[in-house]
Formats: sequence, structure tokens, C-alpha cells
Amino acid sequence: MSIERKDEHDHDAWMEERDLTALESIYLSVLIWFDKRLRIVDYLELLEDLYYKVNMQMPKSHTEQYNLDNKFWYWYPLYALGSFSTIAYVVAAISGALLGFYYAPAAAAADGTPSVAYESILFIMGDLNLGLFLRSLHRWSAQIMVAAVFLHMLRVYFTGAYKEPRELNWIIGIVLISLTMVFGYSGYLLPWSQLSFWAGQIGVEMSLSIPLIGEYVAQLLFGGFTPGQATLVRMYILHVFLLPFVVTTLIAIHIGIVWMQGIAEPH
Amino acid sequence: MTGDTTDGQTESATDSDPGDVATDGGDEAAADGAGIVPPDGETPTWSERKQRSQGLSRLTYEYFERSRREDQDLRQQSSYVERDVLAFPTWPHETVRNLALMSFFVGMILLLSALVPPHLPGPADSGSTPAVILPDWYLYWSFGLLKLGPLNPDLSLLGGQKLMADRTYGVLANLVVVGAVAVVPFLNKGSARRPVEQPFWAGVGVMGVVFAFTIAVLSVKNLVSMDSHLLFDLAFLAPIVCGIIAYSVLRAMREGYMFDLNRRYYRLRPPK
Repeated sequence: MSIERKDEHDHDAWMEERDLTALESIYLSVLIWFDKRLRIVDYLELLEDLYYKVNMQMPKSHTEQYNLDNKFWYWYPLYALGSFSTIAYVVAAISGALLGFYYAPAAAAADGTPSVAYESILFIMGDLNLGLFLRSLHRWSAQIMVAAVFLHMLRVYFTGAYKEPRELNWIIGIVLISLTMVFGYSGYLLPWSQLSFWAGQIGVEMSLSIPLIGEYVAQLLFGGFTPGQATLVRMYILHVFLLPFVVTTLIAIHIGIVWMQGIAEPH
Repeated sequence: MTGDTTDGQTESATDSDPGDVATDGGDEAAADGAGIVPPDGETPTWSERKQRSQGLSRLTYEYFERSRREDQDLRQQSSYVERDVLAFPTWPHETVRNLALMSFFVGMILLLSALVPPHLPGPADSGSTPAVILPDWYLYWSFGLLKLGPLNPDLSLLGGQKLMADRTYGVLANLVVVGAVAVVPFLNKGSARRPVEQPFWAGVGVMGVVFAFTIAVLSVKNLVSMDSHLLFDLAFLAPIVCGIIAYSVLRAMREGYMFDLNRRYYRLRPPK
């Protein structure tokens, strides 16, 4: 019994006996190296499944089966609205991460002098190479995401796609649309411009008007009863840290459920 | 070959070629005797373990077995000509179709953001209130709901006092709207899918959409040059009128439409 571990399935002997070409043996060695560590074979079935499904012949959809399809092709863009909002979210995430390199949520005075945050936006829009485009891209993709999410909800409502197996996903969708609007609102406050400040003021008043817990909510969300430095930092953390995790997770669950249940076709 | 020790050894010694012995490589492990304990007749398999387990896991196992059997039965009874899934597969069919539209869509976002750069107002100044205070367009409806003060009933029971402050009422209205949307799947059941099949719910939907627009117009003061009281009334009357119109139109369409649909539909898929 030697200390060196034995190759239990003696891959070397097996490979010698197979009389492989150089390319094949290199490929096989690499494959064995990975498979010993990661047991790829367990996951191979998943990949095969995906591969064969791509090549699978398209089954007749419900609408084709019953010859309802002639009038339906122009509805397809409406069925892509969920994908649109997802891709707009991805674009917003990428452009937002790039904007994050140059933005600083700091020194939010409200006396009409430009704060650090406001100055950094001015820098991005005025001096940074491609900065104007970057901010424009972030803003537009956010706007389009919200629009696509609203239209997606209308499509789901008017085609009755929220019905029986899909109630849970409808609820998740409502949470998502609300969080999307919170995303938009918190982003609206970040430039700390006049509109940001007064939108923050409205938000503070809304939370203050909640009975009993209003003041706690205002403290928690806005860091005080009038928008200031604390508000800006809280909105920043909400916008770049909390919401991205929560919303990304929810989108993954939302799409995962769609994947499991299939697309509800028009009947 | 399995990794059996004694059985594997005798088997490979008697009826296998030498190459097999090499791949097995079980000689050392067998002589050693230590290491992995081979499964024998006494060791339960994984499915046996599942069956033997108690309590909730046992219940879960039984339920899954049962539902699998139900699926199997349904599939065997079924005389459907179509595939046995009740929806269009997300991967790859819908995904591939959407990817084509999405690539175009990303191009449109890039084009739009290159052509229409955003506007940046002046820096925050608590001293001067701007003439127009508005959130982004998608919050107009919510902003409008905050201005429902005139609808807040003053109760004579409380001596003309209002039960809650106007702004509390507005925040509550937001929650009511979101909650109403959330319960729709639990109120509207059945297999009707198209607006023509369910004129009432389509009418409710049209009413909701129109209300979202009118309340948004209401929130943007001075957008429409009209008496503010009239505008307020219209913001609530227009949705109802539109909803009723949508309902009656769809109701009128329904009969002919359903006849046409049923003729093609039920011929292939007889009702149970």
C-alpha cells in the first residue's frame, strides 16, 4: 500500500489502450481532469437536454392547431414585453454600474448651491467622455423598463394570462412593478436637483401621513423630516445596493416560474 | 462495471477480457478491504430509503408519487391531438422568438438615448418652490391619488370631522389600487381568456387604464385648461363611461365571435 493515491478507474491505461490521436488524448485528459474535480457527467444531461430542445421540431402551438394563427402574429411583440423589460433592466444595470464610478452621493445642501452629487452629474454630462450618452442610456432604459412593465401587465390582464396556475406569478409581478417604481423614484432623487428635492419632499410627506408609524417610516426611508444628506445616502443605498439584489432575485423567480409553466397562449 | 469487491472480482476473473480488469482496477481496493462499504442485500437503495422515511418527508413522497400517477393516467386517457403541455414552451420557442425582437429593441434604446439626452434642472433649493413639482411620468397616477381630498367623506357622526387626514386618505388610495389589482386572479376564475369571452373583466380593465390616465391628468395641474371641479368630476366619470362602452361593445361582439371560435375549437377538442 503506497501513500500515493491510486487512480481508481485507471484512466491512463484505458487511454493507452484506446490508441487516441494527440488532439483526442489532450481533450480527454482535460475532460478527465475537470470531471474528477467537478463531476461534469452529472450535469451533462442538462446540457444535452438544452441542446436537443433547440433542435426539436417546433410543436404546433395552440393557435396553429386550431387555425387561429392568421390573425395572431402581430400580437407577438406584446408577448415579448416581459423580455423587453428584462433586457432594459440589464442595460440599466450595466450603464448604472458605469455611472457609479463617477457619481458621489455627498454634501447634499438644499440652499441652491450645487452639491457634490449635483456636481458629479454635471461632470458626467459635461466633461466625461461618453458621459452624456451613458446617463442618457441609463435614464432611457429605466423609462423604457417601466413602460414595458406597465404594458406587460396590461397584456397579461387582457389576455387572462394571470388565471389558474399563474396567480402566484401575478402577485410577484405586482411586487416587481412596485419595486420598479421605487427604483425609479430613488434614482430620480440622486442628481439632487430641484425636482429631486421636491420629489423627496413629497415622499417624506407621504410617509408622514401614514397613521401611527408615519414618523418611523420617514426616519427609516428618508433619514429625517426634510430631505437632506441622509435622504440622499439612503436613496443611494436603496438604488444601488438593496433594490438590485431584491429585484434581480424576484425577476429570476418570476422568469423561472414562467419557464416552468410555459407561455399562456391566447385561447 | 460496478465497484463491487468480491462479486466484481470473480466476475472479471471468469468472464471478462483483461482490458476490463484494467479499467476496473478493483484488485487493490478489494485486497485492502477498507474504504467504501459495498451495497449488499441489506443496504436500502435511495428509493427504498425514501419510502421508509417517516412524517412529512414520507407524506411528500407519497404525494409526488400520486401526482405522477395522476399525470400518467391523464396522459393515457387523453384523446388530444396536440402535445400534452398546456402552454407554449418558454425554451427554446418563445426565447428564440423574443431574442429577435429584443436585439432590435436594444438598438432602439441606444438610438433613443443618443438622440434625446436627459435634462438636468437646477440644484436643490428649499428656498424656492418650483412652479411645477412632478415625479416621473409613471408615478403621475399615484401622485394624482394623493389629491383625492374632496372625496374624503366628512362624517356627521364625528361632527363633520373627517375620519382621516386628506393625505392619509391619498396614501390609502394607493394601497387600495394595488390591492385591487393583486386580487384579480382570485376573483376572475374560469377558462375564458380573450376580452370577448369576458366582457365584464375587459370593461373593468379598460376602466382601470382610463382611470390611470385621467388621474394622471388630474395630478398635472393646469395641463388641461378646464374648470378644476369639472376636471375632477371627469377624472372619475370618464373611466366609468369608457368601461361601460367597452363592456357593451364586447358583449355585442361576443355572440358572433364565440360562434366562430367554437366552430373551429370544439370540433377538435370536445368539451368534457
